[in-house]
Amino acid sequence: MRGAGLTVRDVLYEAPGAGTRKKIAVATAASLLLLALLLGLVIRQFAIAGQLDRKYWFFFARGTTWSFLGKGLLGTVEVAVVSGILAFAAGFFLMVGRISQSRISRALCTGIIEFTRGVPTLLFVYFFFLVAPQLGIRLHAFWKITLPVSISACGVVAEVLRSGVNAVPKGQREAALSLGMREGSVFLKIIFPQAFRVVIPALLSELVIVLKDTTFAYVINFPDLMQNASVLISNYDAMLSVYLLIAVIYCIINYLLNKAAEAVAVRGKEKGGAK
Amino acid sequence: MRIEELLSQFGSQYVRALLTTWELTALSAAIAFLLGTAVTVMRISPIRPLRRFGDFYVQIFRNIPGASLLILLVYALPYLDVVLSYRTCVLMAASLIPSAFCSEYLMAGINTIDPGQIEAARSLGMTFGQIIRRVVIPQALRSSILPMTNLLVATMLTTALASQVPLNPRELTGIVAHINTHAVGGVTAFLISAFLYCMTAVAIGQAGSWIDRKVRILR
Repeated sequence: MRGAGLTVRDVLYEAPGAGTRKKIAVATAASLLLLALLLGLVIRQFAIAGQLDRKYWFFFARGTTWSFLGKGLLGTVEVAVVSGILAFAAGFFLMVGRISQSRISRALCTGIIEFTRGVPTLLFVYFFFLVAPQLGIRLHAFWKITLPVSISACGVVAEVLRSGVNAVPKGQREAALSLGMREGSVFLKIIFPQAFRVVIPALLSELVIVLKDTTFAYVINFPDLMQNASVLISNYDAMLSVYLLIAVIYCIINYLLNKAAEAVAVRGKEKGGAK
Repeated sequence: MRIEELLSQFGSQYVRALLTTWELTALSAAIAFLLGTAVTVMRISPIRPLRRFGDFYVQIFRNIPGASLLILLVYALPYLDVVLSYRTCVLMAASLIPSAFCSEYLMAGINTIDPGQIEAARSLGMTFGQIIRRVVIPQALRSSILPMTNLLVATMLTTALASQVPLNPRELTGIVAHINTHAVGGVTAFLISAFLYCMTAVAIGQAGSWIDRKVRILR
């Protein structure tokens, strides 16, 4: 029972006596009943509203439905991956600017980072959707969603990377400098690789936020998962079932990304502990 | 459009928009905190189905995109004969999602406590309620100030979802969309809203780190 991974959640209660065990058993049964009742009520509401009807669900058995949704998902993934790469690149430069010796560059980069972190993605989306055309900037729909998503992520990426750089012990830099390496190559070859390894989980969590933000693609009619879902809805007149399914798909993808982040974090800790 | 023109024409609307964003943020954050606390209590309770339900709840609302949730609430729920006002839908979306993160932060705060402290408290003869009230909650709350400040900012950013429904009065994102579809607001209209958002975020951040400095436990 008492493993190394003991958390407060596990030790909060002492081993229950006979009376407490009975109470817990009763509470367990009652809560099970309550949850079942809740589920039942939801299903009943579906049935009453006629949403369990075959016509709202039959098209999920068709291959064309899934290939169409798959195409949308591909659009979503494309936007997410390109945004992720852009945000990482921009975040890297912002981070370098923020830790540099020059006071101007520090102030500028801090300002940009705080700005991108304090403004909602939707406002950036509206900037590229409504304001940019007024300035004579014509962009493809793909960039109208990719740019705002990456802009609103780059500040967070910069801060995550900076926390990684700060986590690398000072001695590493001093040792490399005393070996005659130059400041720039010390950073690129010694400090950054270690910092990057530390922050992989945090970067994966940020990718979840990027993926969530791509759903705003429907604002500008870019064919992503959400947009293709609404086409499906107008074809089959099935609002509830399709949107429910889309939500589940997003949840599963993000859940898996979060799990991956946790797994990487645990592995990193084990490696660190083995030293 | 120049800034003077813009402010003379839309100035009072901006003030109302800022107040609306603040109001939505405060309300959603309060609901999110209550929900998050309730779910956390479920997740640390000895009753297994409740634990599972709490974990499930957190996974759902941590991972669902805000737009997806809002669309479900606004457009899909009426098909279940559940019709909610736009304002209620926005408040629900902007509090359900942060509530999951709130619970995660509280769990993390609880987990920073050394399990040995619980065992020590128990061997001193403290009852379960005393352990929770005097050992767990004070420490968990103190170490979750900074995450909670971030949560408040995140909640504010989530309330921008309100621009997706016809809400009256509009909030800071909705007003930019409104001005730019009815007049040529240009960059200025965008920058005013962005500035107001940023100032709010910075103010929240400053207040948070001030409180954190006062109550932090030095380990």
